[in-house]
Amino acid sequence: MPALIPASLEVLEIDHISKRYGDVVAVHDLSLDVSAGELFGFVGRNGAGKTTTMRIVLGVLAADAGEVRFRGAPLTFERRRQIGYMPEERGLYPKMHVAEQLAYLGELHGMTDAAARSSTRHWLERFDLQGREDAELQSLSHGNQQRIQLAAALVFSPNLLVLDEPFAGLDPLAVDVMSAVLREQADAGIPVIFSSHELELVERLCDRVGIIDHGKMVASGTVDELRAGGRERRWVDAPAARADWDPRVPGTRLVQRDGPRWLFELDEGDDDQALLQAALATGPVREFERVQPTLGELFRTVIGEAGA
Amino acid sequence: MNARFLRLGGTRRLPTTFVVARREVRMRLRSRVFVGGTIVMTVLVVVGIVAASLLAGRTTPVRVGFSGGSQALERSFTATAAALGANVTVSDIADVTAGEAEVTAGTLDVLVIGTSTAPTAVAKDAVPSTVESALSLAAEAARLSDAGLAPAAVKSAMALVPIQLLAPKTPKDNENLFASLALGILLWIALGQWGNMVAQGVVEEKATRIMEVLLATIQPSRLLAGKVIGIGLVGLLQLTIVGAAALVAVHVTNLAAIPALGLASILGDISWFLLGFLVYATAYSAVASLVSRQEEVQSAVAPISIFQIAGYLLMYASLPNPSGPLATVCSVLPPFAPILMPVRMAASDVPFWQIGLAAGLILASIGGLTWLAGRMYTHAAMRIGARVRFMDAFRG
Repeated sequence: MPALIPASLEVLEIDHISKRYGDVVAVHDLSLDVSAGELFGFVGRNGAGKTTTMRIVLGVLAADAGEVRFRGAPLTFERRRQIGYMPEERGLYPKMHVAEQLAYLGELHGMTDAAARSSTRHWLERFDLQGREDAELQSLSHGNQQRIQLAAALVFSPNLLVLDEPFAGLDPLAVDVMSAVLREQADAGIPVIFSSHELELVERLCDRVGIIDHGKMVASGTVDELRAGGRERRWVDAPAARADWDPRVPGTRLVQRDGPRWLFELDEGDDDQALLQAALATGPVREFERVQPTLGELFRTVIGEAGA
Repeated sequence: MNARFLRLGGTRRLPTTFVVARREVRMRLRSRVFVGGTIVMTVLVVVGIVAASLLAGRTTPVRVGFSGGSQALERSFTATAAALGANVTVSDIADVTAGEAEVTAGTLDVLVIGTSTAPTAVAKDAVPSTVESALSLAAEAARLSDAGLAPAAVKSAMALVPIQLLAPKTPKDNENLFASLALGILLWIALGQWGNMVAQGVVEEKATRIMEVLLATIQPSRLLAGKVIGIGLVGLLQLTIVGAAALVAVHVTNLAAIPALGLASILGDISWFLLGFLVYATAYSAVASLVSRQEEVQSAVAPISIFQIAGYLLMYASLPNPSGPLATVCSVLPPFAPILMPVRMAASDVPFWQIGLAAGLILASIGGLTWLAGRMYTHAAMRIGARVRFMDAFRG
C-alpha cells in the first residue's frame, strides 16, 4: 500500500521542461502538476509533445531545461524505477511466456522472485487471463496483449503511473476494464497521468485535463474549469421561424441549423434572455436548451485559438 | 523445460544485471538453436575423433592372411610389425582364391602368397606402409637364413650411423595438425554463432520496442552486460558439453597421444573462447545497437565479421608454419588471437610471453570495447527507426 498522502499535495511536478530535436521544438516551457489520487488526462494532436513529455518523466529522454520532481524531490533513476510506464510504442518479448515475462519485469523493478510471481498471478486474474500463463505473448489476441502491457506497468505496484495512449486499439470491454483499473489505482492514492485521443473517455474518466499544442500547455484544469472558459451554447426549437431567421442579438452567433432547431453560441458572460425573446418573436418556442460544450468542442476551440 | 527451471533468487532482490543474464540463459537454453546446435556439434566432434582414430589405425588391427609357404613368415612378421608400431593380426589362409575373395570383400586387409623367401602381398587398394616394411624385413631375414648367414650378424654389419639430437623437437605429427585445425574451426563457429546471438538480441529489443520499457527501469550498460554475460554463459555451456564429449571420445578411442586433444588443451580452448566471445560480443552489440530491424543486423555487423573471416583464413595460412612471422604477429592481435593462438599452441610450442601478450592485449581491448559499446548502446538504444550513424551514437 502506498503511504497516505494528503490529496492536496502535488506529487508529480513537471516544472518548465523544454526539449528540442535539432531545429524542432518538441516541448517548450511546459509545466503541470498531478496530485495523489488524481487521474490526469493529457490531450493534444499528434506531435503536440505528449510522448516527449512522458519520456522525459520516465528519464528515457533527457530534458534540455526544466526539472521533474516527485514528492518534492527531483526524480532520480532509483525513484523512476517505481513508475509504471506504458510507452506509446507497445513492446514486450513476443516469444516469452506471459507469466514469466511479467515476473521478469517485476524483478527488474526490484521485486523479489516470490513477490513478482504472486503479483503476476494477481494481475493475470484481474485481467481475466488466468490459464494463459505459459502462452507465448505473440499467441495472444491484440486486446489481450494490451492487457499484458498494462499489467507490465502495474506488476511491481508502482507509485506513479504514466501511460501513453493506454486505450488505443482496445475493444469496448477492454476499455471498461482499463478505465476501472486506472480509477482504482488513482483511488488508492497513486497519481495517474495518461494521454489519449478518446476525448469522451478523458472527459468521463479524468479528474483534470491538460491540453497540449505545439509543445505548450494551452489549457489545464478540471473539465468544468475548462468549460467555464469556453462559450455557452443554446439549442432553440422555433418551428415558425423562417429559414433565414437572424435574431440580431449582439454577442450571439449562429453555429448550425438542423430543421426547426438552431444552435447559437453566446459570448462569454452574455445573457441568453435576449436570444429567448428574439425566438419568441418568431412564434412558439418548443425548446430552449443550455448545452455544455464537450471536451472535444473545448479542445477544438482551444487548439484553434492557440493556432491562430 | 518449464518456467521454474533455474529458479534462483526466491525471496532476495537480485541485481538487475543478474536478472537480465538469467533471462538470457533461460530463453537460450530452451531455444532450438541451442539444443540442435549442441547436438550437431557434439555429433560432429565425436564422429571426427572416431574417424581420426580409424584413419590412424590405432583401434582396428590390419588383418593379414598368409597362405602356403609364406606361412613360415608369420612369427617374424608379427614380431617385426609390433616393433614398428603396427597393430596386426595374422591368420592362415588355406586357399589363395578364397583369400583373394576375402580381400575383395573387405574381411581381410592383406593376403600374403608365395614362398617365405619370395612372398607377394595382395591387397584391395593399398598396403599400410608399416605392414609392407614388416613383411619386407621378415622376408629379408628368411632369405639371409636361406643363404646361410646369421640375420643378427648381417644386421649389425649393415647398421646405420646413429644420430644424436641435442635439442629434439617434440613430435607434432599430421594428426595433431589436423586436430588443431578442427578445434580452430569449432572455436571459430562458436565465436560467430554466439557473437551473432548477442547482436540479434540487441536488435530484438529495439525491433519489438521493449527497449523503452526496459530502459525505464535499467541502465543501458547493465542491460548490455546482462545480455553479454547470459549469452556467453550459454555458449560456454555448449562448448563445455562438446569439449567433454570430445574428451570422452578421445579416451575411448585411445587418441590421447594427440596433444591437441588433451584435457589441458581443451580447457585452454574454452578459455580462449571466453576471451574471444567478450571481444566479439561487445563489438557486435555496439554496431547492432545502431539498427532497429533484424534484416539490418548482418549489414551492421559486417565490418566486424570481416575480422572474423580474416581470422579464419589466417588460421589456414599459419598452420604450415605455426612459428613463422605471420602466425606469430597475427596470433597476438586481439581480433585474431582467440582463434590463432589456441591453434598455434596445439600445433607447436608457443613461447609463454607470446601467450601472455595475446591475453593481455585481448583483456585491454575488452575493456576499451566495453566502454565504447556501453556508450554507443546508451545513445542509440532509444533511437528506433532509421539506422543511427556511428559518429552520432558515439557522440550522443
